[in-house]
Formats: sequence, structure tokens, C-alpha cells
Amino acid sequence: MTLEYKKIFQKWALGLAWFYLLLWPLMGITPDGLSFAPSLKVWATVAAGTAFFLFIWILKQQGRLDFFSRPAISLGRSVGKAVGALPNKLLAVAAIAALCLPPLFAGRYVLDVSINVMIYVCLGLGLNIVVGLCGLLDLGYIAFYGVGAYTYALLSINYAVPFWLCLPVAAGMAAIAGCIIGYPTLRMRGDYLAIVTLGFGEIVRLILNNWMELTNGPNGILGINAPGVWWPNWADGFTLEHIWLKKLPYLYYVILGLALFTILAVHRLNYSRIGRAWEAIREDETAAELMGVNTFRLKLLAYAMGAVFGGLAGAFFAARMRFVSPNSFLFIESAMVLSMVVLGGMASIPGIILGTLALIALPEFFRDFEQYRMLAFGGAMTIMMLFRPKGLWPAKRLGQRSEESQ
Amino acid sequence: MDFFLQQCINGLTLGGFYALIALGYTMVFGVIQLINFAHGEFFAAGGYMGVILLSFCASMGFLETHPLLCLGGSMLLAMGYCAMLAMAVEKIAYMPLRRASRLSMLLSALGMSIFLQNGLMLTQGVYSKSYPTVFTNKVLHLGNVSISYMQIMTLALTAGLLVGLNALVFRTRIGTAMRATAQDKVMSALVGINANRVISMTFAIGAGLAAAAGIMVGMYYGTVRYDMGFVPGIKAFAAAVLGGIGNITGAMLGGLIIGLVEIFAAAYISGEYKDVFAFIILIAMLYFRPTGIMGENVDDTRV
Amino acid sequence: MQRIITKALVLSALCVLLISGTAVAKTLKIGTLSPITGPYAADGNDIKNGAVIAAEIFQQKGLLKGFDKIEVVSEDSACDPRQAVAAANKLLSQGVAFVDGAYCSSATIPSSEVLNEGPIPMITPASTNPDVTLRGLKYMWRMCGIDAHQSKSAVEFMAKVLKAKTVFIIDDKTTYSQHLAEYVAEAAKAAGIQVLAHDHVNEGDMDFSAVLTKIKQANPDVFYMSLQNSAAGIPFIKQLRQAGVKAQVLSQDAVYHPQFIEKAHDAAQGVYFTFGFIDDTTEMYKTFLKAYTAKVGGQPGGYAFYSFDAAWTMLTAVSKAGSTDPEKIRAEMMKMDMPGVTKRIKFDQNGDSGSNYIIQVVKGDKFVNYYDPSTGKFY
Repeated sequence: MTLEYKKIFQKWALGLAWFYLLLWPLMGITPDGLSFAPSLKVWATVAAGTAFFLFIWILKQQGRLDFFSRPAISLGRSVGKAVGALPNKLLAVAAIAALCLPPLFAGRYVLDVSINVMIYVCLGLGLNIVVGLCGLLDLGYIAFYGVGAYTYALLSINYAVPFWLCLPVAAGMAAIAGCIIGYPTLRMRGDYLAIVTLGFGEIVRLILNNWMELTNGPNGILGINAPGVWWPNWADGFTLEHIWLKKLPYLYYVILGLALFTILAVHRLNYSRIGRAWEAIREDETAAELMGVNTFRLKLLAYAMGAVFGGLAGAFFAARMRFVSPNSFLFIESAMVLSMVVLGGMASIPGIILGTLALIALPEFFRDFEQYRMLAFGGAMTIMMLFRPKGLWPAKRLGQRSEESQ
Repeated sequence: MDFFLQQCINGLTLGGFYALIALGYTMVFGVIQLINFAHGEFFAAGGYMGVILLSFCASMGFLETHPLLCLGGSMLLAMGYCAMLAMAVEKIAYMPLRRASRLSMLLSALGMSIFLQNGLMLTQGVYSKSYPTVFTNKVLHLGNVSISYMQIMTLALTAGLLVGLNALVFRTRIGTAMRATAQDKVMSALVGINANRVISMTFAIGAGLAAAAGIMVGMYYGTVRYDMGFVPGIKAFAAAVLGGIGNITGAMLGGLIIGLVEIFAAAYISGEYKDVFAFIILIAMLYFRPTGIMGENVDDTRV
Repeated sequence: MQRIITKALVLSALCVLLISGTAVAKTLKIGTLSPITGPYAADGNDIKNGAVIAAEIFQQKGLLKGFDKIEVVSEDSACDPRQAVAAANKLLSQGVAFVDGAYCSSATIPSSEVLNEGPIPMITPASTNPDVTLRGLKYMWRMCGIDAHQSKSAVEFMAKVLKAKTVFIIDDKTTYSQHLAEYVAEAAKAAGIQVLAHDHVNEGDMDFSAVLTKIKQANPDVFYMSLQNSAAGIPFIKQLRQAGVKAQVLSQDAVYHPQFIEKAHDAAQGVYFTFGFIDDTTEMYKTFLKAYTAKVGGQPGGYAFYSFDAAWTMLTAVSKAGSTDPEKIRAEMMKMDMPGVTKRIKFDQNGDSGSNYIIQVVKGDKFVNYYDPSTGKFY
């Protein structure tokens, strides 16, 4: 027992010494000479912080925190059981009802962030079809989001096509883009796929940025219509009045609808014949082919279906911002969406929702850190992954991808 | 013709940088099958260490009296620094995830990349840093083609490092151990190769090469910025894949090809579409040779 | 027992006093919105610092009316439309009086829609996209100049002083740099200067050798360098000198930054810039410079100047109005006519401020006023 702790302390001390060696050259060597005070200050803060967490951890290992954690865990379990005993439909209705409430009392900021979360839920679930279900690594997913956004933006400002009509068009365009990207990549595996999809994503962004006549380049497209609805007006008899859903609460309900649709659709796909076939491809492509799965068509379908949800989210994004520019479709966004899928737990719908919540809410939560914000975010990302390597809420059915087991 | 030759030289210089960065990607990938997104950050850190050390030398007055010593010393120290940084990142962020899915490691790498980039920004400031002039910018004129001494030195150093790496991988014990681990982890562990040590070494060597590239880029282009690692990182990743990932010769070739394509696209077609052409070439090449130019893991050249 | 109760009473009374005391101090909250993380953090921090210093000096000079102190809330836009809108909503919910920002036009446009719904007045120190002010938003102003004016000054300088016959134009495909470059190309053609080429590089590039070889071959009289910021300008000018391009170099106000001289010292000599006329003899300029050097260190860059003027103007309007009512602030803004650091501040119907672009040149460690295109005189 004590020997083990000694080892841990040794490691901790070694780590801190190593950290100081890395920190000092960055902070201590200046053209004015060598200095130690500023780097020691940062180092001492970090040392104190890690010591605190180490202390908590040791207390936990020794069981000193049981008086608190045991009841908490058992409470959590019993609540879980009680909830699990309720019929699923009731739960779903309750959850949807709860989701409908926020616009009634929440402030603008909270609504705005929740709208962002739901946009990314659509994106995450769409990417989940490609990465989580079919096991194809895609680093250019944001391109479909961009295609959807620009499709709606262009149709709206050039032909004033209403939002609801554009939704299927944007989804269709994204699906076509998905097939175009999917086709040449079907022969590739793993990391070749990753770089090719990354390349396609960058190509789409660069075209958006450079094709001045169509997309107005870096200036972006302005004056996109918000979604509109015909609303019955009872004031003077019965007339249908056309209103634009510009206000955040309305937009919240629109994206809530879209997100629920996406969740339902991906859930149904997951448990359909197609979903099983995708999972078969993920687990072992050769075996799947032997069992009669048409891997060529199904992989292409995975790209197209994944792109559809990206396109839907993109069209909504354009309608919500009423402005699109290539700045929204950088590679880092693709990486973020992929992170949501992996952090949440691949192929797990509740996991991906959790992952999205974490990765969208964290940078907002860290806003008070000002310029330390992204530092904290990057660190948090790695730490979360270290503590939950399988994801926050891993899927039940998930084997090793065939390539990995080699 | 002069124009063409000049652009060739430009392309080779740029390609050399990409090749050096790509080697780190390819080696790490060979050993633990990870796309190390933080690799571009090692490159940036190398560039920064170079500017810190050289400025320090300059303020002490050593730079004018012993320029070569300063440059060599700074380069070695920066390479050592980045090797330590890479080993630390590997121990903290990748080692605990070695048994988890590869994508978990990818995410951890992305987190580390964001963390390191912002760490550089916070410790070194938001403004770019400028390299002290080590050598006067003399230019060699061959007809209308001009090569700066900086370019010659860069090319020579790049070539030297590549030859050195080849020797290390194919002639030394640690190189053999690296190749063995890349081929079969279980088998190499059975014959007594310490996998943890080999992986650490691989990270250290890859990051060292990236650091050397960082210093040379800094000196050649004059400045370093905290976010300078991101774009070259992606290009180098493309180069590594283009050459056949895990293949050292492939990475060098891939780097040179990407550099040349980029320069020629900018020179003859259009500056704004140069990256599009680089990626199109990449995709076309991979469509016909799905495992890269040199092929993946063809023989025991994989690291 | 009795004593404990008394003590508690006294204590709570003290607490109430303290709380009401702080509540009586009326705080004016102002917001900045700029990318303080990510690739544009340098410019974003300039904007933030400019506003912070404006608030400090404004308060020190006792110009603040109706409030006791100013609190600056800085939010990060990361140059990303989505995060900028979230930040704007956060500023709205925090009840700031106005917002100084944002930097990228693609962040300014969507966040201005949010702030105008608020409504909270917004003034941008950096976004030059014409649509920022042309959308008819009621509470939107712009401190930096517009491309049409700057390009006119630039071309006049090229034609009259540099006697240029040919020009090579380059931009880095951002809203600002590209738009300005297009205006310059048009104006140059109109002035009879031949535009040899209008090429582009990508932002984030570090290697410009291909395009520099092109410039060298084209051998123009003037090379017009329109880039997003000084961070792109420094390596560009260094490589340009190394490649041996002989042309005169003219650049614009986004590249204008003391960092440009500091980091590219020898290479930067003789580079011309279009920038607002800065009268370095005025009291305001001296105070600003002193406060900036004391607080941030070094010399302020172009965006810090504009951001200082933006925050200062807004603070003046709030002070004159004596409240944070956007209607009243708007009325004051429209009446505004006062000297700023970079220009005489006066707004037109759209919310654009006038401009007085002159040519400055890098000489030694400083930018030096060189030529005034409006009068045709040298300084």
C-alpha cells in the first residue's frame, strides 16, 4: 500500500520536474537575460493544483470519501432504476415536454447556446452514421454543413424560396455531395480515407471562399430569410398571416423539431436492416461482403445519409444567422463534430448528445477565463478522454473495427 | 525557363520542410497508428525555441562572434526540447489510451494540439516573433535564377537530416527495434523489445525533426507565430499519406511532391486555388494507388 | 443571548449598508467583442486594449457623467460567426451599454443583428465590409474608414508621387484585403496605371516564394500589398526583400502596426502605408500613447487606435446622453463632431465615419507622415 503511494509520488514529482523543464525555456529565457520568477509562479500554481487532486484521489482510494460517494452512488442507482421502470414512451414525452419549456423562462444567451447545441446534435448524429455506424473515418464532414447552408442561402436570396421548401433541397444537395465525396474513397481504408475526406472538406471551403460570382467569397451572403410560417390570426376574423420566425424562441422550436427528427431518424436507421449492415461493415468488411452485404452501395448510402443531416443543419444555420460565410466551415469544425461523436461514444445516440453538450457548452462555460479559454478547453478535452476512453455514454453494441484488431 | 527553374527551387525548399514534418507523422503512425494532430505544434514549438535561444545568443553577443556554434547549439537544444515535449505529451495523453479505440487517441491528440497552441500563445505573446539575422541574406545568381544561401543551407540541412534518419532507422539497434515494433507489437515484445521505450523514442525523433524544420522555417521566412503549426501540419499529414503512411521514403517523396505542386499551382494557375490543386492531386493519386505512392508497409521499411 | 442578537442585528445592518453602498455606485458596463484566441488574437487583443485604455482615461479625466465607474466586459468572438453571436447574446444579457467590436466582418455582421434587436449600440473598429453599415441597422457605427476612400488616396499617391506606370496587386482573400485590392485595381485602371496582375495568397500561408517570383518577373513600378494584418505582412515583406523585388511597396492600414517595423526592421524601411492622419501633437494622442505604453507596453497598432477612438466616441455619447438608452445614444452619436486620435469623428447617415487617409512611410523605428493626397502636399 505505502509502496504504491511512494511510486505515485515519485511519478508526480518526476512529472512536475519535467513540466518545469518544459516551461522554463518558454518563460525564462529572454533577450534581457534569464529569469526564474514568472515561470516558478506558474509552476507552483500547477503543482498546488495537481497536489490537491492527487490528495482527493488518495482519499478516495483509501475509502475516506465513502461516507459521501456511497450514498450518492446508491441514490443515483435507485433513481436510475425508478426511471428505468417507467415506460419508455412516458419518459420520451416527459423529456420532450421539458425541452419545450426553456424559451418560456431562459435568457437569450442560454437559448442561443442551446440552439447551437441542437445544431451540433444534428451534425453529430449525421456524422455518427458515417463514423459510428459504418466505421468510415471522415474529417471533412463540415463540407456538407456548408453545402446545406449555401444551398439555402443562394435559393433564398436569388429566388426567395421559403425555408421549408429548401430543407429537402439542401438535404438532397448535401446527399449528392456525399456521393461525390464517397465514390472515390470507397476503395480506401482508415487513414487514407481520413486525409481524402479532409481534402474534400478543404476543397469545398476554398471554392466557397474563391468563387466570387456564386458565393460572394469571403464577404459571405447576407439577407437570408428566416423560416416563415402562416399563422392563423383571430383578431379580425380568420386570416392567415405570414410571419418570419426571427426571434430566438421560435428558432429554438424549429431546431428542436429538426433535432428530434434527426434523433428519431438515426435511431430508426440504427435498428433497421441497413443499420445492421452498416455495423457489419464496421466490424468486418470482408465478412460482411461474404454474408451478402453490398458494401459498395451501403457505404455510399452511409455517406449520403450522413450528409443529409449535415445539410439540414446547414440550412437551419443559414436561416438562423441570416448570413453565411466560409469562416463557419473550417477544418477545425469538422474535427469538433468528430470529437463530439467520439467523446460521447460512437454509435450511441444519448452519448453523442452528451458529447455535443460538453463540447459546445465548455467553451462558453470557460468564457470568463478570457484568453485562457481555449487552453482550458483543449486540456479538458484530453482529460475527459483519459477518464472515459470509450466515451461518456458508450453504445452497447460495439466491437473492434476490423482494421484495429490486426 | 528561368521562371520555371526558380519555381522549382522554391518548390523544393518548401517540399523539404513538409518532408521533415511528414516524417514525424509517418513514424508515429507506423508505431501506434495514431494521426498525431499535435505534431504541427511540435514544429511550432521548435520554431519558437529557435527564436528564443538565438535571440538570447544575440543579446549576449555570441551570435556575431560564433554564428555557426550558436545556430548549431540552438538547433540541438530546440530539438532536445521538442523531443522532451513530445515524450511528455505521449506519456500523458496517448499512453493511457493505447488500448482504447484509435479515435479516442485522435481526440486526445486534438485536445493536446489546442492546448499546446494556446500554451505557446500565452507564454510567448500574440505577436509574431522575428528571427535575428544569422547570416547575411546573400544571394547566388546563376543567370536569372537566384538562390539564397539560406535556401542552400536549408536544402543541405534537410538532406542531411533525412540521410541521418535513414541511417538511424536502418543501421542502429533502436531503429531495428522501432521497425520490429511497427511490424508486430506482440512478437517484438516477446523478443525482449521494450515497446514503451521504443514509442517514446519514436515520438522524440519525430518531434526533433519537426523542431529542426521549425527553426529552418523560422530562419528562412523570418518570423514564427503561435499558430504556424496548424496549416503545415495538415499539409505534412497529406504528404505522409500521399507517400504511403508508415513509409519513410514515401513521406520524403510525398513532402516534395506536395511542395512542388503547391508552388507550381500558385505560379502557373492561381494563388488562391493552389491548395485545391494540392488536394486534387492527392485525391487523384490515392484513387489510383489507394495505399500511397510507395505503398503502405511494403517490406520492413515501415517505422 | 440578547447580546448575540444585538451583534447579529448590527452585523446585518452593516451588510445592508455595504450592499446598498455598492449598489449606489452606478457602474457603466461596456463590452468589447474581438478574437482574443485563435489566429487573430493579436488584433483582437489590440481592440480589447484600445477599449480598456479609452475607458480608463475617460474616467481619470472625469469626463464620465451620470455614472461612477466603467467596467469593461471583454468577450471572445474567435472570428467565428457562431461564437460571435453567442458572445453578443451574452453581452446583451449582461446589460452592457454598447459594444466595441468585432474584428472579422463575418463575426460583426451576424452579431450586429443580435445587438440591434437588443437594442444595444455597436461600433466596429475594424470591419470594412460595406454591408456592415449598409443594412440600415439603426445602432451600427463604424470607426475605420471605407475602402473607397483608402483606395483613392493610395492610387493618387501611386500616380502623382511614385509616377507609377504599372502596379502588381496582391491580397490574401479575406473580406477586407480582397475588397480593398479590387477597389485599388479599379481606381488604378481609371488613373491610367496598368494593373499587371491581381493575385492572391491564402491567409495562414507562410511561403510566398511562388508569387514573389511572379512579381519579380513582372517587374512592376509599385507593388500593392493588401493583407489582413501585420502578422501576414512581416514575413511577406521579409521574403520580398530577399527575393530582390525592386518595386516600391505600398500597403494599407490593417498591416499598419509597430510590430511591422519592430519585426521586419530593415526590410520594412521605405514601405508606404495609407493610414489616417495622426496628429501626434494633440493632448489626446499623447495621453493615449502614454497609457498604452504603461499598460500594454510597446506601441499601439492600427486596430488599437481605431478601437480607442470607437470606445471614446461611444463613451462621450453615453456621457452626454447621461443614460444608456440606445435612442439617446444614437441621437448623440449623430450629432458627434469632435477630434479623435485617428481622424475627426463625424458620422454620416449610415453610421460611417469620415476618413482622412494620408501616406505614411517607415523611416527608422517610426511611421512618418509623408504625403497628403487631399492637398497634394508633403509633410
